[in-house]
Amino acid sequence: MSYDYNIAFIGNPNCGKTTLFNYYTGANLKTANWPGVTVEKKEGMIEYKGERFGIVDLPGIYSLTYYTLEERVSRKYILDDKPDVIVDVIDASSLERNLYLALQLIEMGEPVVIALNMIDIVEKRGMKIDTKKLSNILNVPIVPVSARKKTGLDILENLISDIVHRKKETDKYNDYNVEGNENHFYSYDIENKIDAITKRLKDKFPYMRNYRWYAIKFLEKDSEINETYSIGLEDIVDKNYESEIIHQKYDFIEKIISDVLINKNEKSVVSDKVDGIFTHNFFGLPIFLVIMAAVFLLTFTIGDYLKVFMEEWLTYFSDFVLEIMKNMNLSDFICSLVIDGIVAGVGGIITFLPNIVILFIALAFLEDSGYMARVAYIMDGIMGKIGLSGKAFIPMILGFGCTVPAIMASRTLENWSDRIRTILITPFMSCSARLPVYVIISDIFFGKYAPLAAYSMYIIGIIVAVVIALILNKFDNTKKTNSLLIELPEYKIPDLHSVFIYVWEKVKDYLIKAGTTIFIASVILWFLLNFGFDGFSENIENSFGAEIGKILVPIMTPIGLGYWQIIVALISGIAAKEVVVSSFSVLFSINNISSSEGMSRLSEIFNSSGFGMVNAYSFMLFCLLYIPCVATIGTIKKETGSFKWVAVSIGIQLGAAWGTAFLFYHILSFFS
Amino acid sequence: MKLINGEKGSVYKIEKINLNKNVKRRLESIGMTENSTISILNKKKNGAVIIRIRGTRFAMGKIFAEGIQIGGAINEL
Repeated sequence: MSYDYNIAFIGNPNCGKTTLFNYYTGANLKTANWPGVTVEKKEGMIEYKGERFGIVDLPGIYSLTYYTLEERVSRKYILDDKPDVIVDVIDASSLERNLYLALQLIEMGEPVVIALNMIDIVEKRGMKIDTKKLSNILNVPIVPVSARKKTGLDILENLISDIVHRKKETDKYNDYNVEGNENHFYSYDIENKIDAITKRLKDKFPYMRNYRWYAIKFLEKDSEINETYSIGLEDIVDKNYESEIIHQKYDFIEKIISDVLINKNEKSVVSDKVDGIFTHNFFGLPIFLVIMAAVFLLTFTIGDYLKVFMEEWLTYFSDFVLEIMKNMNLSDFICSLVIDGIVAGVGGIITFLPNIVILFIALAFLEDSGYMARVAYIMDGIMGKIGLSGKAFIPMILGFGCTVPAIMASRTLENWSDRIRTILITPFMSCSARLPVYVIISDIFFGKYAPLAAYSMYIIGIIVAVVIALILNKFDNTKKTNSLLIELPEYKIPDLHSVFIYVWEKVKDYLIKAGTTIFIASVILWFLLNFGFDGFSENIENSFGAEIGKILVPIMTPIGLGYWQIIVALISGIAAKEVVVSSFSVLFSINNISSSEGMSRLSEIFNSSGFGMVNAYSFMLFCLLYIPCVATIGTIKKETGSFKWVAVSIGIQLGAAWGTAFLFYHILSFFS
Repeated sequence: MKLINGEKGSVYKIEKINLNKNVKRRLESIGMTENSTISILNKKKNGAVIIRIRGTRFAMGKIFAEGIQIGGAINEL
């Protein structure tokens, strides 16, 4: 899609870029209060006074060097796509550090506007920022805004529109050689070298934009710039000036701060006091464990309480549909497909919506309050024992929600070895799609111990992840030179709007998944189970599905799962884990599987075939650990870029699932 | 002395960063430059610390905390 103008939002991690982006574009991108939520650049559009502005939300970065993935994405975008205006979103409560990126952007010579965000927080602390003076020093326009309270946003919009029009005018006459808003604050020596390089660049590349920026990059021995442009500068660039340039930038910033920041406040703020409790050396970990236990307790208790209503609705709906179809005199074949295939398969999944909603509300609170970054610190010691930094624990927690975004969140880890190990263990964190399986199976087989049986899955998932990480760590010979480094943002009361967006997006995904993947899988399954080599048949034993399942019976017998129905359910569960439950509905033609009647029927069927408690536990374990879903596989391929890691990942999952189930099946069989 | 040996609740001046070049640049880009001040807000037995640098809090792991050389305490928080 082409736009009249292109605008880029850039800024430090967790400065509120995405909140601004959502406001302007009406998008519902996830926002949260920990650095690194946005890992990919996202595009959107606004219309302002009849013109179309394309907006790009870039991942948060601290600097425009070339060291991290996010920095490369952002810098490449600015250099190659040349946005008409760069909106640098600055967190006013961390002005000093945020100005560092601002100086680098201004140096690039493209039009920059500073959106001074979170100005309300600064003022609440009794500080003031002289924005007029700051704007004069930096020679760029500054608009104080509050993305959360939605103030100043129309002014920013208007200013952007003004700048692009003015730029269009000047570009007509002066296509190239845009001079940056130059601030000559470097030392005499460095400024001289910049001038000398500029002169040589002008001779060699007459059509280059902003020589000063390139000159500085040559002095910093920037790897990308040096590889792209080779001109002999050895006489000028006699050593790497990067460190000096960084220092002098910060010296300049210190000067700016003392000029523009009034009532600089160093005394401890609320966040420090809260941190005194949450990151307490002794209580920090127990508090975290209690919080996680509470999350799952809420998910199961309140979720199950609400689920009853969903089931009543489903029974009513199923009867209603059957009634209509009978009145229309449809054939048994069609009735069976709709009722046993579609309504049972898809409807059975929708009844779990309350559990899913509660789990995601809880996760949204954890993420939006600022607690998530603290978890990285709390878990740093424990994660260190398995060779990972505390930061790797963030993707793992997100894995309790959904494995796909969790794996993508591993991008915030700086080195490849940490990333790949985190990607390999994250699927063992029990995601929300596995929850329906635990609820159904544990309710049928474990009576009053059902919640305990379900909880144990989460614990075993973590233990398996730890064991796998330990093994991987043994194979990993790279020297550990990396360590935890994460910004701890200010705590805030979770914003209801962001929580709502977060949960709504997940619910939407869940419903879409129910309507697409699960729908299609249910229909395919219905066909596989109702057709055999003899055509449509009432006898499921002769169906294609049964034939497929029976082939694998010998492999699954040692772990107590040598039943072709169970195997068919597990295979179809690769499409999405919920399908395991819906396939039970289809396999055993139970319309309302999560209701008490549905469960008692399922229970009768299981008991009559000798499938008992121990088999059930083995089944839950296998569901916990084997291939999560095709979407996860796709994400692993995308994130690692190689089929080798996909194969390794699937191998580890199947091995861990079979091995763990084998172990528990035999130990539990021994005792029962 | 090393940052890891600093006292919780004290403010120090960073003297030198003895870490590999990439890490050093990353630390510098968040404002952790030589001669800047650093406050230790919390520290754990395993060597991880919570620090404040240029008005922002960071959690930092052991390997980094070992590689940062600091002078004597210049202030109490």
